[in-house]
Amino acid sequence: MKEIKLFLGPQHPGMHGNASVHMYIDADIIKKAYMLPGMLHRGFEKGMERHSWVNNIGLIPRVCVVEPDINEFVFAQAAEMMAGIEVPERGQYIRMIILEMARIIAHIMAYGGVGGPTGNYTVMYHAQEDRNRMLYIFEKITGHRVYHMYIVPGGVRKDLPVGIEDDLNEFMDDFEKRYDDYRALVLENPSVLKRITKTIPLPAEVVWELGVTGIGMRSAVNKPYDLRKVKPYLKYDKVEFDVPMMDYSDAKARLECKLIEISQSIRIIRQCLAQMKPGPVRVPLDHGQAMRWRVPKGQVYSSCESARGEFGYFVVSNGGTNPYRVGVRGASYPQGLLGIEKYLPGTRLDDASLWVDTMGVCAPEIDR
Amino acid sequence: MKSTKFTKFTEKEADAKWWEIGNYFRRNSIWMLMYCTGCGAIELPPAMTSAYDMERLGMGPMATPRQADVLLVTGYLSVKTLRRIIYTYEQMSEPKYVVGFGSCTINGGVYFDSYAVINRLDYYIPVDVYVAGCMPNTEAILNGFVDLMGMMKNKTANGWVKYHENYEWYKANQIQAVGEVHVHDEFHE
Amino acid sequence: MMNSMNNVEEIIAAVEANFDLLSSDVIDKYQVGLDVNKNEIHRLLIFLKTNGWIQLSYLTAVDWIEENEFELVYIVFNWDKAVHIQIRTRIERDVEKASIETIMPIYPGCKYYEREVHEFFGIKFPGNPDYHKQLILEQFDDLPPLRKDFDPLAYAERKFPKRDYPDKFTNLEGKESEQAKRDVTHERVSKLRTGGTKK
Repeated sequence: MKEIKLFLGPQHPGMHGNASVHMYIDADIIKKAYMLPGMLHRGFEKGMERHSWVNNIGLIPRVCVVEPDINEFVFAQAAEMMAGIEVPERGQYIRMIILEMARIIAHIMAYGGVGGPTGNYTVMYHAQEDRNRMLYIFEKITGHRVYHMYIVPGGVRKDLPVGIEDDLNEFMDDFEKRYDDYRALVLENPSVLKRITKTIPLPAEVVWELGVTGIGMRSAVNKPYDLRKVKPYLKYDKVEFDVPMMDYSDAKARLECKLIEISQSIRIIRQCLAQMKPGPVRVPLDHGQAMRWRVPKGQVYSSCESARGEFGYFVVSNGGTNPYRVGVRGASYPQGLLGIEKYLPGTRLDDASLWVDTMGVCAPEIDR
Repeated sequence: MKSTKFTKFTEKEADAKWWEIGNYFRRNSIWMLMYCTGCGAIELPPAMTSAYDMERLGMGPMATPRQADVLLVTGYLSVKTLRRIIYTYEQMSEPKYVVGFGSCTINGGVYFDSYAVINRLDYYIPVDVYVAGCMPNTEAILNGFVDLMGMMKNKTANGWVKYHENYEWYKANQIQAVGEVHVHDEFHE
Repeated sequence: MMNSMNNVEEIIAAVEANFDLLSSDVIDKYQVGLDVNKNEIHRLLIFLKTNGWIQLSYLTAVDWIEENEFELVYIVFNWDKAVHIQIRTRIERDVEKASIETIMPIYPGCKYYEREVHEFFGIKFPGNPDYHKQLILEQFDDLPPLRKDFDPLAYAERKFPKRDYPDKFTNLEGKESEQAKRDVTHERVSKLRTGGTKK
């Protein structure tokens, strides 16, 4: 049979983000596949060397657009590790609330994004409506819907507004009431189940070979390998939550893990709101002269658990006002580039876009 | 019996009248091309679905450029994306419109000193409406669409005519920034 | 939770017993950095991989232009003991000679990291099948961008023309410019003993 070269190109209704997959197919089975990143490349690592430590706060959330708070947190944590700053307790709890809210909207968007490849657009409408309500809450806390610039080295920019607990509780109660609706739309829907059961399974040996982290790893390996449990940062050792893990990782298992993680994030936010005490939220940098702040020498790799896996920044400082080198480890680097090359050949053509959605391949993180 | 006197239209006047009727239908059903070129595209799903619902303005998504009316350039453009945007823009059938989102299409935005991001979208393809912000709110995007519909009514949305008239100037700018406007498939060559 | 400070000391002791460690750097109880020579990298990585550090988190390079060297950094992680180890080594900065053998037989996930380091710094990795093809940039015609002697602002101004804004702040009525007066005062103040700041 002849082989046809096909671009699941950048302009495609089933592609999430601006990246393309080049494939050779033979009557519906993929023979060879490569991902072509680089269309969203902005030269961040070079740009961060030209701005001072505090100026970079405005530049950094734009690395990953779906979940921008993890960038700010990881950069702030790296600067604090090198300078030896300790964040006050209320600031740490507020940081945890913001990170869990960002995880909820990233998972909701990925869960609703299954609508594109499978043709089930109803769940996408539900998901975008919920995400929009959470963006209103973000606007009340930080002032912007998408790029918050709220977590800074030294703490959080400002305290939470009065009465925000009512808004958060209303959102969380309403979401928990409709949890079964979400399950019925995708996971118990007979017409979608045929597309997602037993398709694109990920065996456990392949996980260690590719270096995949996040939900792809936990649903294949059946162990609680989550950075929040294994090396707890902030106050994650003071709250109780479970980490979903499964034995056999096909598309359905990964989607179930996403829903379970959303309900665990809601549990964490409730415990944080109950455990917080009033107090300061921020430590001033360099006695108030933040624009000329110098960070002592060092080389640090700081990481956190994002919705897609281990996300990290490698920061090098030589004692100046600008960082010397910043390297970004995108969480979807292994499963996007190497996973598509080694793992998609042998599967069907309609599953290529489903892999991009359930494994969480986010194109701006790969290109920065 | 009253007799009505017909004065025949000249061909130019008839043409103008047909364009007016066509513009009425065009501005009430704009179809946009589904291409998320940059980070501003994260505010498009709330506009397309039930949160802000642009279908009440008559707009809907379209998969192929040959049948789409408007190309949304949502945010910054790296050099690699610019090659593909020029391909896509030249494949769209006329009349076609371009809306530029965010401050990166106006003057480079936060990436003014980057070696991979262009500074002015105006030099490479003609732009009709700009929506300011970084990133623009969904209500601002819908305002931008209503402005575009107003411009179509006043016959001032003429970007595609300018592209025809100044084709050499646009081409020279494109080659200066991008090199050659031909997409090589380097994995398979 | 186990006592990972003990873990970090044990790791340094185990590596020092078998290899020639140039220096070590304990960052906190979950992270440690080790400096080794270029020819010990492969043996050290095999030693670590067989002892539980099975995930390669990141591979990158740093350009120390004053010392005329590149520094390659490999970061590996162990999920059971929760320690990140940064392994650092220095190689020469010269364009012809900057190269190191690939670690693909040890960690197959490094293929695209090495390709990206070659594209942005110019370091060669013999053994990696396609490391010379461009991945993120396309038809780039200048120095590898992340080197310190590449100036992005000059490149951007040369290739991508900017929008010029009309100068609306000229003085149309012939009065003396207030900003010029302020500049003179500012310069006079900055030459005082305290530089104009309160003490």
